[in-house]
Amino acid sequence: MSNIGWKDVLADEMSDDLAHEIDIFEGQMELMGQGKLDEKVFAETRLRRGVYGQRYDNGQRHDGFESRELAFEEMERIKGPDTLWHAPGMQRIKVPGGGLTPNQLDVLAQVADEYSDGILHITTRQDIQLHFVHIEDTPDMMRRLASVGITTREACGNSVRNVTCCHLAGVCRTEVFDATPYSEAFAEFLLGHDDVQDFGRKFKPAFSGCEAEACGLVMMHDIGYLAQIQEVDGKPKRGFKVYVGGGLGTVPHQAKVLSEFTPEEEILPLVQAVSRVFARLGEKRNRNRARIKFLVAKLGIEEFRRLVEEERKTLPHDDRWTAYMDTLPEYEEKPYRPPTFLNGQVNSSEFNQWYETNVYSQRQEGYSVVTVNLPLGDLTSKQTWELADIARKYVGENVRSTVEQNIVLRWVSDSDLPNLYEELKAIGLGDPGAGTIVDITACPGTDTCKLGIASSRGLAGELRTRLTAKSASLPEAIKDLKIKISGCFNSCGQHHVSDIGFFGNSRRSGNFKMPHFQVILGGKWHDNAGSYGLAVGAVPSKTVPEVVDTITSRYVEERSKGETFQEWIGRIGKKEARGIIQPFMQLPAFEQEPEYFSDWGDPRVFSLGDIGIGECAGEVVSLFSMEISPAESEAFEAQIALDENDPARADALAYSSMLKAARALVRTQFLDVGDSPDRIVQEFKSRFFDTELFFDQYAKGKFGQYLLDRHSSPNASPDNDSAHRLIEEALLFIEATHACESRVGGNVLVEI
Amino acid sequence: MIAPHRLSVKFFFSDFSVDVESFIPVFHRWIREDVVPNELLLDVADYKHIGDGPAILLVGHEADYIIDLTDGKPGLLYVRKRDAGSDLSDALGRTLFQALNGAKLTENDVELKGKLKLRTDGATIVLLDRLNYPNGANGDGADSPASDAQAQLSDNLAAIFGEDATVTRVANDAREPLTFELQAPSAPDVDTLLNQLGRGD
Repeated sequence: MSNIGWKDVLADEMSDDLAHEIDIFEGQMELMGQGKLDEKVFAETRLRRGVYGQRYDNGQRHDGFESRELAFEEMERIKGPDTLWHAPGMQRIKVPGGGLTPNQLDVLAQVADEYSDGILHITTRQDIQLHFVHIEDTPDMMRRLASVGITTREACGNSVRNVTCCHLAGVCRTEVFDATPYSEAFAEFLLGHDDVQDFGRKFKPAFSGCEAEACGLVMMHDIGYLAQIQEVDGKPKRGFKVYVGGGLGTVPHQAKVLSEFTPEEEILPLVQAVSRVFARLGEKRNRNRARIKFLVAKLGIEEFRRLVEEERKTLPHDDRWTAYMDTLPEYEEKPYRPPTFLNGQVNSSEFNQWYETNVYSQRQEGYSVVTVNLPLGDLTSKQTWELADIARKYVGENVRSTVEQNIVLRWVSDSDLPNLYEELKAIGLGDPGAGTIVDITACPGTDTCKLGIASSRGLAGELRTRLTAKSASLPEAIKDLKIKISGCFNSCGQHHVSDIGFFGNSRRSGNFKMPHFQVILGGKWHDNAGSYGLAVGAVPSKTVPEVVDTITSRYVEERSKGETFQEWIGRIGKKEARGIIQPFMQLPAFEQEPEYFSDWGDPRVFSLGDIGIGECAGEVVSLFSMEISPAESEAFEAQIALDENDPARADALAYSSMLKAARALVRTQFLDVGDSPDRIVQEFKSRFFDTELFFDQYAKGKFGQYLLDRHSSPNASPDNDSAHRLIEEALLFIEATHACESRVGGNVLVEI
Repeated sequence: MIAPHRLSVKFFFSDFSVDVESFIPVFHRWIREDVVPNELLLDVADYKHIGDGPAILLVGHEADYIIDLTDGKPGLLYVRKRDAGSDLSDALGRTLFQALNGAKLTENDVELKGKLKLRTDGATIVLLDRLNYPNGANGDGADSPASDAQAQLSDNLAAIFGEDATVTRVANDAREPLTFELQAPSAPDVDTLLNQLGRGD
């Protein structure tokens, strides 16, 4: 049997940081398997690696008649509260700004067919998700992704999620300037940053270049940066209008203006200050009130702004705040082919239809952005590497995912468009209708999500099929309407900001439950998600296609010239809008309409029995618990290194594990201790050793002395004996750290 | 030879006069009635919107059963994901047995009977393991894991599908997994194959 693994094969292709992080995660998996890690701590650990739970992972599934146990092997083994180890899960993969290269697409396709079901799913935040993944496959999957510069770190959990940026940034005809390099610098700066490890909930950033377009949707984000240029000392100066406290969820909040103009050199310290205020004052125990939008609402934007400004003054200087700016003058995407023009050549009607909806003329003459319209955001592994080859041929590395669950190819030389269309069509990716009423957004819903109530994807698929079939005859007024669907009230499908939105719920009829969708009308996608729609009532899931027909017909009949859908809904008001769907709100009995009691694409009699506990939040563990976990993992790695007869590495890992444990303890009192070993040891000594807080009743300061000794007198040439001794000391030191934290520890909590 | 991380086999339908959506209730019933021995069935995934690819998946813990429409060739694709066997030969035997059992269940299902027929005279076999079975030499036979695997598959499959059975390596893209085509003009029917493969588990 081969002993060579991906870790060995890819050792030279991964950055040291990414490789080490994955090793630590693998070590934590091992410890969890041995029962040496707390289940909540491990749950948050894996979530921060993007390793998410999936429907039925509690081992229960309703088969339409009754809830039945799924008899996985080792049923006692778990990967979090009520989450079985062997149950398949979802892997979320971060794609900052949606930027992808053909080489990355190749690897994504390969890991999808080896570890998932061969389907890549683009999310509404430009991520990629793979489903039905076994946790034991995740370290190797992460290594293969790391080999092409992709990390899954902080893709889930209470962390800074994927930083989104408009997919047209840099080529847009209306943008102020290209926000891409700023979003990239932002993502890099905050990834793993100390000040973003103690949030009560997730934190979603977005960058936008245009105020009036949908662009980065900054109004619905926790923090949003909108590009601005101001004249300063007679010269144009780049900066951003900064919004904070937006969000969808159950109760959507429009973001507030935190700063009318933040100059470019201040955008990173500003978010650092915001992060500190959020970490310090944000809710930790009640997950339903823990997003930053609640803190902003509670304090008021003026007070929040004052606190952020005060915090900014206290931040220790960080060179990274402005280091990226040196590269800005050189930042530009390079077109792969020279600019050309279509020159009025005659093309097929199919091409013309596709051109009308899927092609955007860049501000750079002779180039266009092509949107690859992905049904429900899905593409197969095979399509993915075929698309990678098309990208290589026409646009090089200029590929991005979009928040409407599509992929764009940028910098297509215009005369290439007909051939490009034929090649996309040949691989099943030539559908027209991108950005129109047939291009429906949907979250995973009951297909795979633990929180899903109704089948958002089933409904989206049905609507897409029906609307596509009659797309040629659809009135112009409704062709560009947006339909967005969420499987529950958590708004992952962004239903609040669509013309016609739906979110899943249920109603009882007799002894049965019936899948329903709440209808939300008149949300605004433009103006960066400028306003939210009105909830007008819930209708049975099976009536939704007819509901869409009825609403759109009424709009076509009643609209005045030039009146938008939002304006029409605003004019007729909620009561009248509810009247339109009222006829569909009646609930038939099971005996009358049995098909109403099952969902789209799922013949089982509808049940809420499969809903689980979401893993976005739900458990409260201390920051210390989160930070001590990698220390334990490194001590474990040190033992492995010793087993492999590598005493130098064992010694280094044992020492590093002690430092991590000491740092975790120090940070219960002093968050800004930083990463310097000298500083960590100094702070540990003054705060816990000299004060005897660390002292054991019997052993006194013995365990603490292990760290002080190793730090002051490193062993220049450790042998197996000395390394073994140090590992033992490290394990004792870590245990003593746990004991000390229990006795006197801080109260910094983190909710997962 | 080492058992691959995953191993799949696809048998093709000769007749296929059924809407793929029909498989959704069938697969849900299979889960409810626990019709597949030695495998835990979990859920049904609907990817029919993709068109050219997997359409309907019966997702399991050890394996997936997929109504697959890739390249316009409808078939039943069985993907063994876990516990395939101790080595390639064992994994192949288990995978074939379970795939053929799936074929039999499909053909004989009360809602599908008479609407489809699977052929046994050909199949596609894929070793989804780029670490141990890389597809690096583009099918020229120069890479030893691939040629060793081909020899192993040829021996095993000739014993089951008939002496005239041939196994050809598909000269596909190096990024794709190592893929072989089985041609078996004298292949017996599904029941006979299952009897020949008859596994104790």
